[in-house]
Amino acid sequence: MIPTLSPTELAAFGAELDAIRARVVADLGQRDVDHIRSMIKLVHYSEVGGRALLHLGIGPFTFALGTSLLAASKILENMEVGHNVMHGQYEWTGDPRLTGRYEWDNTCTGDDWRHSHNVLHHTYTNILGKDRDIGYSFLRVNPAQRWRPSHVVQPLTALLLATLFQWGVGLHDLELAETLRGGGSFATLRRRARGFVRKAAWQLGKDYAFYPLLAGANAPRVFAGNLIANLARNVWAFAIIFCGHFPEGVSVFRDDPHETRGAWYLRQLVGSANIEGSRAFHIASGHLSHQIEHHLFPELPASRYPEIAVEVRAICARYGLPYHTGSLGAQLGSVAKQIVRNSLPS
Amino acid sequence: MSLSSALAASPVPAALRRLFLDRAAEFWLGRLAPAHSLIERRARVALVLAETRDVKTFVLEPSRWPGHVAGQYVPVTVEIDGRRHTRCYSITTRTTPAGAPRIAIAVARVPGGKVSNFLHDHVHAGAIVTLGDPAGDFVLPDPTPPQIALIAGGSGVTPILALARELRHRNSALDLAIVHAARDDAAAAFATELAALADAPGARLVAHRGPLTVDALRAAIPDLARRAIYTCGPAGMMDVVSEAAAGAPVLRERFVATAPRAAAGPQPKARVYLTQARRTVALDGDGTLLEQLERAGERPAHGCRMGICNTCACTARGATRDLATGAASGEPDRTIHLCTSVAAGDDLELSL
Repeated sequence: MIPTLSPTELAAFGAELDAIRARVVADLGQRDVDHIRSMIKLVHYSEVGGRALLHLGIGPFTFALGTSLLAASKILENMEVGHNVMHGQYEWTGDPRLTGRYEWDNTCTGDDWRHSHNVLHHTYTNILGKDRDIGYSFLRVNPAQRWRPSHVVQPLTALLLATLFQWGVGLHDLELAETLRGGGSFATLRRRARGFVRKAAWQLGKDYAFYPLLAGANAPRVFAGNLIANLARNVWAFAIIFCGHFPEGVSVFRDDPHETRGAWYLRQLVGSANIEGSRAFHIASGHLSHQIEHHLFPELPASRYPEIAVEVRAICARYGLPYHTGSLGAQLGSVAKQIVRNSLPS
Repeated sequence: MSLSSALAASPVPAALRRLFLDRAAEFWLGRLAPAHSLIERRARVALVLAETRDVKTFVLEPSRWPGHVAGQYVPVTVEIDGRRHTRCYSITTRTTPAGAPRIAIAVARVPGGKVSNFLHDHVHAGAIVTLGDPAGDFVLPDPTPPQIALIAGGSGVTPILALARELRHRNSALDLAIVHAARDDAAAAFATELAALADAPGARLVAHRGPLTVDALRAAIPDLARRAIYTCGPAGMMDVVSEAAAGAPVLRERFVATAPRAAAGPQPKARVYLTQARRTVALDGDGTLLEQLERAGERPAHGCRMGICNTCACTARGATRDLATGAASGEPDRTIHLCTSVAAGDDLELSL
């Protein structure tokens, strides 16, 4: 049920959100760049610590600790650092280490991600037929999507996607599912896939050949540790990201070429959902726990979303608009229900 | 400028180097040796000397110094409240070879100036700054001209000092006249050193207090027109020099306000120099920079066309206004979004 506001209300709503953006932009400064730099420091220290424990340690305790540290490093790099820096959230600093051209530690190339995510997903958020993130082109997460027989097994394919999520992300901009369904030529697919194939080869080589070989006798545990750390990052990212737009109650839209700024904000608001949690949880999720604020203000540093959320909630209350949020358990449960329910024709 | 574009080309594909080698190596180098970097030229501040109340010398120890020619300037970048700002300062050291361990710049405090005040108030020995490549053509030719006039006004003494030091080092038979104009004795930075440099056979210094006039200059250097003339100072003073030289060539070093004021009123039809394509484009002043560039036949990368996806981001020099916030800026080398910016000055430079 998409809420409606009158054109005047919509304009006022948009203006209030624009005011939040202007205020935050004017306030950006040392503490914001210090935050992202501490996050980057954490990523590197935990990576070196984790890998050192895996490479040089003996026994299950150092294996568990090393793998955990490496998983934490990959999660932080993927979520809080990679995703946010690639949005250009820190371009204002002028620091060449923080430009939007950042390349993350993931099989997805930065260029593919910037195109499929920054441009397509954020512009056409939740518009059926235009936002390819709705079910990632092969899952039916909303009854408004057309049912296909392949959807019957989607509870299983979703779980498979969770374990291999970085590959799903890496392949996403290639439009593989559409090409297989006959929507594009294989020549185009091959051309599009070049960057991905090269980067994926490097990622595989790094985690499953280079580092294990470097470890000598400890090669098997380094291999296993890297595999488990990647798996942990995949599942975590999948969980957070799927909670962003797929819980029940989140709206999907038809394309409106005359969408005003206020209406754009409204679509971003009701097309997204938040997850409640502690500060540590928010950081581990790359602040995608504040999916609503992220969709309203994708170019603002994500660490600002919690303070912005207070104001956004107040604005929603005043305009009588829904604000989708819940605990991780509740949101994940809701997503699971949607995937199961929509696997059958409605 | 991205992490990888700042490094020399390498056989390893760009995306892979960007991800693995550059970032990890750069991070750890930054922790273990903060005065060094793979992607930019850093310098440690070795010493700060107060020359006058408003002028300070910063002695810098740069890594990978490419060498410079006396009279050139160097861009200096500092981070102020999270944001990088760059300004060009004249190097006061005489000509240095590549790998030189130390150079010096002199910074005059500009009222309301962001970078000069930050340097004066917050940058002390031990601090790290970032340097660009030395540049500029305010240099002495080789062989040294036999008769030279150096005329410095106010903070324009900084490149003149470098030339005087270089001339002293070259030690060739020289007829050198230096005129140092300053508001008063307290404001005359480097007066003592210039006097010492002029204390050589064939050299002399005339210290002038108050604004320099054509008559005073002609009296100080009667044969001005026969000399190789170098001048740096306020625009008015340099006009006086040109007039006194009566048609003889004068090499002027301009200190341009590096953060130009944005023009008020309707959008000007800007001339844009595209630094990567190396061509100039004339815009028609209608709509956003993205729209104007497209109508001029350019194909800049773009995405959402509404300021959120960052695809059209590029660095700019010259004044632009951001339509989303209404704020105008002329800060050099800042990032702008073409789809939400308009020109606010006549000349722009974009990294396209």
